Amino acid sequence: MIIEPLPQTPANVASEFAIAAGQLNFSFGEGELQKQILFDVTFNVAQGEVVLLTGPSGSGKTTLLTLIGGLRHVRSGELTVLSQAMHQATKTDLVQVRRNIGFIFQQHNLLPFLTARKNVEMTFQLHPEVPAAEVYQRSEEILTRVGLGDRLDYHPARLSGGQKQRVAIARALAADPKLILADEPTAALDSQSGRDVVDLLQELARSKGCPVLMVTHDNRVLDIADRIIHMEDGRIQSGS
Amino acid sequence: MLSSPLVAWHQLSHHKMKLAVAAAGVVVAVMLMLVQLGIREGAMENSVAVARRITADLVLVSPRTRTIFQSSQFPRRLLFRLPAHDAVAGVEEMYMGQARFHNPWEHREHPISVFGLDPQFPMLNLPGFAARADDLERPDRVLFDGFSRTTYGPVVDTVKRQGFLETEINFRRVRIVDTINVGISITTDGNLYMSPANFLRLFPARDPGAIDVGLVRLKPGADREKVREQLASYVGQEARVVTRDELIASEVQFLRESAPIDFIFGMGAAVGFFIGFVVVYQILYTEVTNHLPQFATMKAMGFTDGYLLKVVLSQAFILSILGYIPGFFLALVLYRVATVAIQMQFSMTVQRATMVFLLTLIMCGLSALIAIRKAWTADPADVF
Repeated sequence: MIIEPLPQTPANVASEFAIAAGQLNFSFGEGELQKQILFDVTFNVAQGEVVLLTGPSGSGKTTLLTLIGGLRHVRSGELTVLSQAMHQATKTDLVQVRRNIGFIFQQHNLLPFLTARKNVEMTFQLHPEVPAAEVYQRSEEILTRVGLGDRLDYHPARLSGGQKQRVAIARALAADPKLILADEPTAALDSQSGRDVVDLLQELARSKGCPVLMVTHDNRVLDIADRIIHMEDGRIQSGS
Repeated sequence: MLSSPLVAWHQLSHHKMKLAVAAAGVVVAVMLMLVQLGIREGAMENSVAVARRITADLVLVSPRTRTIFQSSQFPRRLLFRLPAHDAVAGVEEMYMGQARFHNPWEHREHPISVFGLDPQFPMLNLPGFAARADDLERPDRVLFDGFSRTTYGPVVDTVKRQGFLETEINFRRVRIVDTINVGISITTDGNLYMSPANFLRLFPARDPGAIDVGLVRLKPGADREKVREQLASYVGQEARVVTRDELIASEVQFLRESAPIDFIFGMGAAVGFFIGFVVVYQILYTEVTNHLPQFATMKAMGFTDGYLLKVVLSQAFILSILGYIPGFFLALVLYRVATVAIQMQFSMTVQRATMVFLLTLIMCGLSALIAIRKAWTADPADVF
């Protein structure tokens, strides 16, 4: 049996890419009920790049995001995220990778019983290397940067949708993640708040040199992207 | 820094009303457990109080006696054989019986326990009994237990006021010359203490040669176990020589078998435990369920199942503390109330307080462990 060397496997080039996916396949279910969602997805996201992932519903965008975020196991193909080979990762490895990713969801999912400041502070539980004295200051700083300096001690129930999503962004960015994954962060917002949130995300990511992969349906925000990847029926149509 | 107990506290205290309900559930559970176990122990303790008050080294009872309160009598002469042994310092007979006490205010008769033993040197720790020895040697002079139930009338007050009370016991005129505080139990409502001679006056039908309990004092330094074995051969099959501790143990054993104290009050405590468990579980479960998307988000961010467990366990711990402290003090109040209402002494012991605290922790911890399973099933992939 001859083992052919794979040309340009993602693993080889991991260091220059935050995300490197090669011939990624994914399906739900087993046997006859098996339904394939992703077909031979191959793409890279470079360090500091802002990439949008677009496509109709059911095109596999979110599934791809969960694989990159280490929320599902890679079964076929290769995927390297932040130098971790996800296709070989144990559960503990996945949790470790997730701690270096800032997640922003459609729903803000803030803990309703914690104030904005405490919601952000909680992230630092995952980063014991940050000294306790710094946590307080850094949480305040990032919340001020997202424009909520005067809402630090508000519970989520007393914030507007846009403000909540900004707290969620602050939470995702507080601990200096090495990658930001966002899933339609503007979906639950009106156009002005959506615009603000996306601008903010772009600005913060740029200032920290942090790569962003954002799934979106929202045509109004496409202009923030360095690159747009379009997916359809589980395949990348353009932009890889 | 926001540690898991702090997160737990924020989550619990966010809804003050919910927290109050949860804590109230634990309070009820703690109180029920403390009170039920307290009454169980109190009833047990009070019932063996007489046996505990024995100061004799060895005790002689009939082999058929299962409890000294319903004793079979045995021949007094067996007791008088014992001083033949070198180690025996003295022996003393004790008569016990149930008499009818005439309540002179209501003109009703109530049963009362009667103890007849030597007032000069009683081998029973009855504070104030020996002090009235000279009085008690005179005919028809008795002492009344100040802790007796009120069904006998205001005996204590009257004796205090006029120095004595004359009434009928077993249809015989006697004079209560004083009251002493010893205590009653679930088997007796009141007690009378007197000399053996006066006891036999109240029970003319009883054979003076048939006694209920024989008390044996040994000389200092005597080997109790060894002497006991030797004395057993003196009395043969007709009486049993036991130590005080054995007597207490057999009294407890009898109560366990004859009275459903353990079952009834044990059941009460178990119900308390169950109530607390259900309330805490319900609260923690709804907390977890209501925050499932948030918990899933936390898991996506990289928080482990262990962290979530710590949060929920911390909540259980907080609820334990919040419920235990008021529950403890409420139980103290109820002990006071029960002491007055049942007219039996109930008190808190460190051992019981500790045990119930541990039970509370287990109760809340168990609820947390079951409630957390829901959070563990939260799939972080679902939040996208």
